[in-house]
Amino acid sequence: MKFLVNLAFKNLFRHKRRTMITSIAIAVGLALFILIDSMLVGIEEDSTRNLMLYETGSARIMNTQFWEEHENLPLKHSIDKPQPILEELDAAGIDAAPRTIFRGELIMQKDPYPESGSIQAQITAIDPQRDPQVYLIDESISDGRFLEEDRLEAVVGAWLAEDIGAQVGYPLTIVTRTKEGFFQTIDLEIVGLANTPNPVVNRTGIFIPIKTADYYLQMEGSVSQIDTSFAYQADIEEQTSKIRSVALSNRPDLTVVDWNILGKDFVALAASKSAGSKVILFLVFIIAAVGISNTMLMSVYERIREIGMLRALGMRRHEIRLAFLIEAGGIGLIGASAGVLIGVLLNIPLVNIGVDYSALMRDADMGYRVTGIMRGLWSTATIFTAFFTGVFLSVLMAFIPTRKALKLQITDALRYQ
Amino acid sequence: MIQIKDLKKQYRSGETVVQALRGVDLEIQNGEFLSIAGPSGSGKTTLLNLIGCLDIADEGSIHIDSVNIAEKSRKELALLRREKIGFVFQSFNLIPVLTAYENASFPLSLLGVTEKELHERTVKIMQEVGLEEMMHRKPAELSGGQQQRVAIARALIKSPDIVLADEPTANLDSETGQDILDLMEVLNAKHNTTFVFSTHDQMVMDFAHRLVRLHDGLIHSDEITQRAAGGTKVGSRG
Repeated sequence: MKFLVNLAFKNLFRHKRRTMITSIAIAVGLALFILIDSMLVGIEEDSTRNLMLYETGSARIMNTQFWEEHENLPLKHSIDKPQPILEELDAAGIDAAPRTIFRGELIMQKDPYPESGSIQAQITAIDPQRDPQVYLIDESISDGRFLEEDRLEAVVGAWLAEDIGAQVGYPLTIVTRTKEGFFQTIDLEIVGLANTPNPVVNRTGIFIPIKTADYYLQMEGSVSQIDTSFAYQADIEEQTSKIRSVALSNRPDLTVVDWNILGKDFVALAASKSAGSKVILFLVFIIAAVGISNTMLMSVYERIREIGMLRALGMRRHEIRLAFLIEAGGIGLIGASAGVLIGVLLNIPLVNIGVDYSALMRDADMGYRVTGIMRGLWSTATIFTAFFTGVFLSVLMAFIPTRKALKLQITDALRYQ
Repeated sequence: MIQIKDLKKQYRSGETVVQALRGVDLEIQNGEFLSIAGPSGSGKTTLLNLIGCLDIADEGSIHIDSVNIAEKSRKELALLRREKIGFVFQSFNLIPVLTAYENASFPLSLLGVTEKELHERTVKIMQEVGLEEMMHRKPAELSGGQQQRVAIARALIKSPDIVLADEPTANLDSETGQDILDLMEVLNAKHNTTFVFSTHDQMVMDFAHRLVRLHDGLIHSDEITQRAAGGTKVGSRG
């Protein structure tokens, strides 16, 4: 065994340049793997957090029929008498805020707007007092101020404001329908612009006080939903069950839906992007594998006579195979160590500083709920996976040519040119 | 003792069938210094390969110390080669990344001897082949003759019963070749190891104590040479 290890080690440096190039190929592949994975996990983590803190909350209580027809936002199926539910949730220590979401047409007149026109929009009526328990819109006001109760005012997503040419102080007219379906016009004033880390909110968000919406939409105290918030890492099933038992035991008309379902577009997108990224990672590994395979192929084939000699002198096939596999494992070890080192070193600024994709995210909807700086995330499992995959892949790639060379007759191997 | 009876071997090269050995009968006593001579294609390398358990005969048998090698498994043949047979190749076949010392000692590593014994025996054999000063050089730092000396040391270090050498001087100049043959003869006498070497070189044939000539896969002549009898050719065995 000592001889095999010694032989493998010395053969490792037989062609230093070749070993180095192969090790670099492995190192680059593994470093990329660590960085891409760090980035993806980081973006996904931030997106999930931003989805929950600015868009969906952790879980949402709705009328079952409203949920079934939620594409149409049917206000007639809203939650009547939300107050007792909110009180029960408060008593149970669950943060909750009522909201009413409805559709309308934003009407913009030239002067002060640059152009006259209208756009379809989804408006969210929020309780300025309770909403900060669940969402962080109030902390994201980049211009103006947050909403105050019972006023004819609106907070608009910063990118939406930019797109329509709105500024704080501009009037905003919403044409919509009441709960009963009658046309209604609400004249508001933009009092603040929200610049959140969630691009969906920035691109489409229009927030008005819930009491204003209640009056104009003739909601009579009902709301379309009650959004709740619980700890990021909390067990979703457990928390939704708790909400059901605390607040909905005598309200069979209501249901609880968690963020996984509410943000299913993002969840599905993240899953498909993750699959796509895995394909990229697979290709990275293929490139590394081809490098190793090529090196080991050359290494084995230029030594076929040597293999013949070793077998002639009584060395068994499995011993020779082991020597080659140790050698390949050595290349993998060098490459994997370098790859992990490079990956970890490059991941430090990625985690602490991140990469600024603001320009890209402003104009392109990539599905992720991240607006600007994307940060990586440390994953010990990924680092270990990268390291062991590098070594294992090297050994695997050496196995095939070695097996083929060992199939030759000793006499043929000794004559091999 | 090696007993060869009616040994036949053919090779297929595309559509052509080459009869390498057509029925060879030969007996080699322990400690002989025997040369198998013949022109290219006469079957001498095939015969050496079969004796060395590197190839399998189509017909006939080879007994080494009364053991029929045809009845041995691949693993048993590998162990037989490991313990009882040493090889010297025409192109030396040393491992370039190992030193002369490591190349020579490697068969002992396979036998699992202790580090101490390995060192002692390696130093001794390197002294015997006259390379004790160059033990730590790599093959590329040695001349052809020195490399072949290392190969001989490698073949002899495990004290084999038989050393098979396929044209051991073919890649050497005549003077170096003669040195190598001198060395092999000395070691043959000293260790009483059977030396069987193939050649088509007259100078090498002259060194042999017994000369077996092959022609078209058959033994053409088998004679004890003058060198065996201290300068007098003693006659034919065939």
